[in-house]
Amino acid sequence: MKRNLISKRAIRTLALNVVVWLFALAWILPFIGLITVSILPYREVIVKGWFRVPDLNSLTLNNYVEALRNPLYDLATSYRNSLIVASLSSIIPVIAAALAAYAFTNLDFRLKALLFATILFIMMVPQQLTVVPLFLLYRNLGLYDTFQGIILLHSAWGIAWVTFFLRNYFKFIPKSLVEAARVDGASEITIFYRVILPLSIPALIAALIMQFTWVWNDLFYALVFLASGDKQVITQKVVMLKGEYHVDWGLLTAGSIISMSTPLILYMVFNKYFMRGVAAWGVKR
Amino acid sequence: MKSAFLRLDRITKRFRNVVAVDNVSLDVGKGEFIVLLGPSGCGKTTTLRIIAGLEIPDEGRVYIDGIDVTDLEPGDRDVAMVFQDYALYPHMSVFDNIAFPLVVRRSKLRLGKKDIEGKVLKVARMLGIDGLLDRKPTQLSGGQQQRVALARALVREPKVWLMDEPLSNLDALIRVQVRAELKKLQKDLGITTVYVTHDQIEALTLADRIAVMNKGRVLQVGSPKEVYEDPEHVFVATFIGSPPMNILECEATKETLECPGFSKPLPPDTVNLQGKLYIGIRPEHIEIVSGSINEDVVRAKVYVVEPLGAEYIVNVMVGGEIVKVKTSKELPLNPGDTTYLRINWNKVTIFDPETGRFIGKLLDVNTP
Repeated sequence: MKRNLISKRAIRTLALNVVVWLFALAWILPFIGLITVSILPYREVIVKGWFRVPDLNSLTLNNYVEALRNPLYDLATSYRNSLIVASLSSIIPVIAAALAAYAFTNLDFRLKALLFATILFIMMVPQQLTVVPLFLLYRNLGLYDTFQGIILLHSAWGIAWVTFFLRNYFKFIPKSLVEAARVDGASEITIFYRVILPLSIPALIAALIMQFTWVWNDLFYALVFLASGDKQVITQKVVMLKGEYHVDWGLLTAGSIISMSTPLILYMVFNKYFMRGVAAWGVKR
Repeated sequence: MKSAFLRLDRITKRFRNVVAVDNVSLDVGKGEFIVLLGPSGCGKTTTLRIIAGLEIPDEGRVYIDGIDVTDLEPGDRDVAMVFQDYALYPHMSVFDNIAFPLVVRRSKLRLGKKDIEGKVLKVARMLGIDGLLDRKPTQLSGGQQQRVALARALVREPKVWLMDEPLSNLDALIRVQVRAELKKLQKDLGITTVYVTHDQIEALTLADRIAVMNKGRVLQVGSPKEVYEDPEHVFVATFIGSPPMNILECEATKETLECPGFSKPLPPDTVNLQGKLYIGIRPEHIEIVSGSINEDVVRAKVYVVEPLGAEYIVNVMVGGEIVKVKTSKELPLNPGDTTYLRINWNKVTIFDPETGRFIGKLLDVNTP
């Protein structure tokens, strides 16, 4: 009887494992393909296909070198551009939103509820809806095809959701901490950077990473607002690795991997904080 | 009259339609330990927060040391507050927690690093936490956290010390210990203290004076002895004392006081008593006697006996009402037994059933 029970449990565990592994494989397979193709010569991929154990002798980093160095593609410059745009477009809105979220959490002012509702509303507007008026506005203001322009744009979108995100996190911090600091004579700005910010590091990092990834992966706004080659970001350049009549799969996959490596590395490094920051979002208060 | 060090002048605070604090006036002398006592939602914490400046009153003024502080920020009032959850900054060490009030106004107080260190060490030694200064609050026990919170409130040498149920998160045993230490500390330092609690034992043991609050109003301010022995309101009578005062609804006629289950003949010249009344009798002012030997006793039926170690609470039924009797004698009583109560009529208090206000002692009201 007991043995029967154990074997039943074992079968169930096994079945569960098989199903989960199947799902995992389905997820991982495209990545394996991506990596395999990027480290093989074009010829070999075309002739032998990618779904096999690659021949160790033919492995090469040529595709990466080519994508980064060849002036025709010049991913190196666009990588630098992406770094500038994505980091500033995450740092600026997180700083601004942290201040706003502090006000929404700990200060009383007129029209607070209405303002907050407006922010939520802005969060829900589809980006595509705003692109034509923004384009005209940017052209008139001279912000078209500038880093300042696209950073401003991403920051504006970022402030809305980061304010919402951080406000929810700040609400999680006991109000008595803020009040104790007030009674002790701390100014609001002191409370903000000495009490609230140190306690919100996980949330700040989570917001930074999410916003960074979002901006890094953006293609739509980049296509509309960054035109000249030396200002284009990596997502635009990766698309151009694919010719009109000819696709160099090695080059394209290498470019894609270069492009997605940065958010992935960031996520891996700050994974611990990221989880804590996002987890608090779901905690019931 | 001693001039008030802390004065609340007709304070009213509303939250939407709820009146949290209703026309409260209170004078607290320098160095006095005053306890705001009342059930939850009675407005005691709101009153404390108004003193701290964390709430702005809709009406009325707050004065500290002769200065109108009503419109001042909390940090400019020179008050310190101990919160129910201690509100220690979890990312700072104990040292930094205690130093925080000094550090944030370093320039205003003209303090150097050495001065701050000296002050923190002094107060930490006083509270016996100088060995914990490098720890984080989460590494401390509840009692230790409590001391850190007290130290942080003391380090600035405030004019007024405000405490919002500071002992309620402690274990019962530690609470009694800290309670005594707190009282000693307050007396030694002579800091004017306003302390909020719903625990009458805390109030009675700590306070120089107690302000009993209910529904946003202060019903009585007096020494622990006064509020216990001479409650000015039926609420005070039923809130203070363990068990509280027995309240019976009686009716006064010309010659007698008709109560449920018994009637008490009144002296013939009773003119002040007419109609419905509440009479209040403390459980310790009733004695259980075995037989109806003399006529001035009340017949009762034993409902249940609660032993409390050194004493017993005997619950008896008198005319359908439960009356609690406190006795130190172990009596051979079982539920359902008939017994007799001898009431100490000198101690019986009378309240107005409409307003709840104190009218007088039963045997005093007769003499005009």
